[in-house]
Amino acid sequence: MKMTKLALAALGTTLTLAGAAKAESHGECGAISIAEWNWASGELMANVDKIILEEGYGCEVTLVPGATTTTFASMNEKAQPDVAGELWINAVRDQLDNAIAEGRLHSVLDGPITELGEGWWVTPKFAADHPELNTVEKVLEHPELFPNAEDESKGAFIGCPAGWGCQLVNANLFRAFDMEEKGWVLVDPGSAAGLDGSMAKAVERDQNWFGYYWSPTAMIGKYEMVLLPFEAEYAGDDNWNGCIALAEQDCADPKPTAWTKSEVHTVITDEFKKKGGPAVDYLSKRIFPGAIMNGMLVYMQDEQAGGEDAAFEFLEKHGDIWESWVSPEVAEKVKSAL
Amino acid sequence: MSRKNKESRGIAVMEWLAEFPSLDRRELSNMKKGIDGAFREFSRAYGEGLEAFFYPLLKFMVWFEKLLQATPWPIILVVVAGLSWLGSRSVKVTVGAVIAFIAIGIFGMWEDTMSTLAIISVATIICIAVGIPIGILMARSDRLQGLITPVLDVMQTIPSFVYLIPVVMLLGIGKVPGLLAVCIYAMPPIVRLTNLGIRLVDRDVLEAATAFGASPKQKLWGVQVPLALPNIFAGVNQTIMMALSMVVVASMIGVQGLGVPVLRAISNQYLALGVMNGLAIVALAIIFDRVSQTFGKRLQAHRKGHH
Repeated sequence: MKMTKLALAALGTTLTLAGAAKAESHGECGAISIAEWNWASGELMANVDKIILEEGYGCEVTLVPGATTTTFASMNEKAQPDVAGELWINAVRDQLDNAIAEGRLHSVLDGPITELGEGWWVTPKFAADHPELNTVEKVLEHPELFPNAEDESKGAFIGCPAGWGCQLVNANLFRAFDMEEKGWVLVDPGSAAGLDGSMAKAVERDQNWFGYYWSPTAMIGKYEMVLLPFEAEYAGDDNWNGCIALAEQDCADPKPTAWTKSEVHTVITDEFKKKGGPAVDYLSKRIFPGAIMNGMLVYMQDEQAGGEDAAFEFLEKHGDIWESWVSPEVAEKVKSAL
Repeated sequence: MSRKNKESRGIAVMEWLAEFPSLDRRELSNMKKGIDGAFREFSRAYGEGLEAFFYPLLKFMVWFEKLLQATPWPIILVVVAGLSWLGSRSVKVTVGAVIAFIAIGIFGMWEDTMSTLAIISVATIICIAVGIPIGILMARSDRLQGLITPVLDVMQTIPSFVYLIPVVMLLGIGKVPGLLAVCIYAMPPIVRLTNLGIRLVDRDVLEAATAFGASPKQKLWGVQVPLALPNIFAGVNQTIMMALSMVVVASMIGVQGLGVPVLRAISNQYLALGVMNGLAIVALAIIFDRVSQTFGKRLQAHRKGHH
């Protein structure tokens, strides 16, 4: 016990130590809310956080379900929820930068999951049948390989559902690469279910599929989708943030570019940073390796497990990973609660 | 000893009563996986055939949507005014319909409205073409009514997202699966009201027809259906209303139209965009409603005049 206190003292400032001692002795970090994203890895992470923070740090955690832009708007305006575990900041970068500059929000971790990103994918069968078409630009020359059901003279590029941040990006890249002239149609799948359904159907039926997706996801893990690299270099933040990521009318001249590097942060509110103590420490240390996360996501889909079931599965199976995020005492407490 | 046994048995019973004896998680998950696997097999085996079956319908819908979008707007306005007048014979309704379409155009929703109009029209036609015969059959057989009524209940109450999953796995995303989703929800009223209308026809009238030597076919088409028309029209009206209320859900599986901006508005809190497109759907609904209702009323008035 003394040893850990010494270690903690060495690690943190006296303030965090006081907070830590208080929280650990009284089991109080207060009532906090965590955003539970409406995608699987976000659900899993929110539930893992919930269990560890409740059992290990004595917090009272409520999960707040929601989508990126809505939940972020609430965090930004109302400081609720307190924690966004897996915030894809590309969609909300400007507001987040402002909020951080004004001290309302804090990023405590850059990259809670490794090896993640967005991009354009094809089915594994297509990649095997056409090994020569191994970049986005090469595939773009062959719209005839991806006939659009509603107009077979065109190729179907499955974009992002209406209202998602990536919808704007895909629409602008569609223009940047002159895809319309090349014979492509940008298909709006309408919803996450539509996007997943179209990909699943294509893979199950050995049809070709070319569209937008992101990793880590069960869909990518399960169907072994292949990410196509862009030949174009990343054409700079001015082009991306000042054009590609904006609405079509605000982006007159999009330049071809590789996909921007995805940045995912764990973001917390100022209030929670002040009162959270060691719980904040935990949030700044928990990094899921990408392969483990993909495996968990396939498990979730195969078993049709919700975020909570998957969180227990993760905590039971992958002790080696999460125990390094917390102190041994906390690890014991969490383990005894499983 | 025996008392202790009794007590522990009592506790066991209490526990058994407190929590419903459900299947355990493994069995449940195996069952779900089994069903999913079976459906996947089914989709692999018959999906292509089904797609081929619906292909002409898809071509027709694409053609119809393109036609509506390519037609110059003044012509559409004239057609809208003409149809409203033919249906309602009411200056108020006709002028209202034209003003609504002009407003839709001014606020930049013309193209989406044409897409929505296209899918709603096709959906309504299909629902009527399938629904009225089913309703007539139901009215003629009590057993059939007993069979079909629960199916209609399911169609109307099952959350649409539940059947979107299998529909997308079978047919992908786009117009045809969207149309199916709309029809599953919108068809029951026309079936129900056709059935009801025919069953409500006065027995005395039917007896009179029999006395005049009318064949069953003559009775159906000469007496029952005409007398049931006001009810059937109420059914058509309800079907159109319900089809319009499915526009947003259909957009979730890739159907173009007014639902797409609504979805965009939902995920980005674009209040104005959502309200505008929502109101455009409402405007379409009101026009359809007033025209079909006044048409139904005129049929009724016509009938009363004859008596």
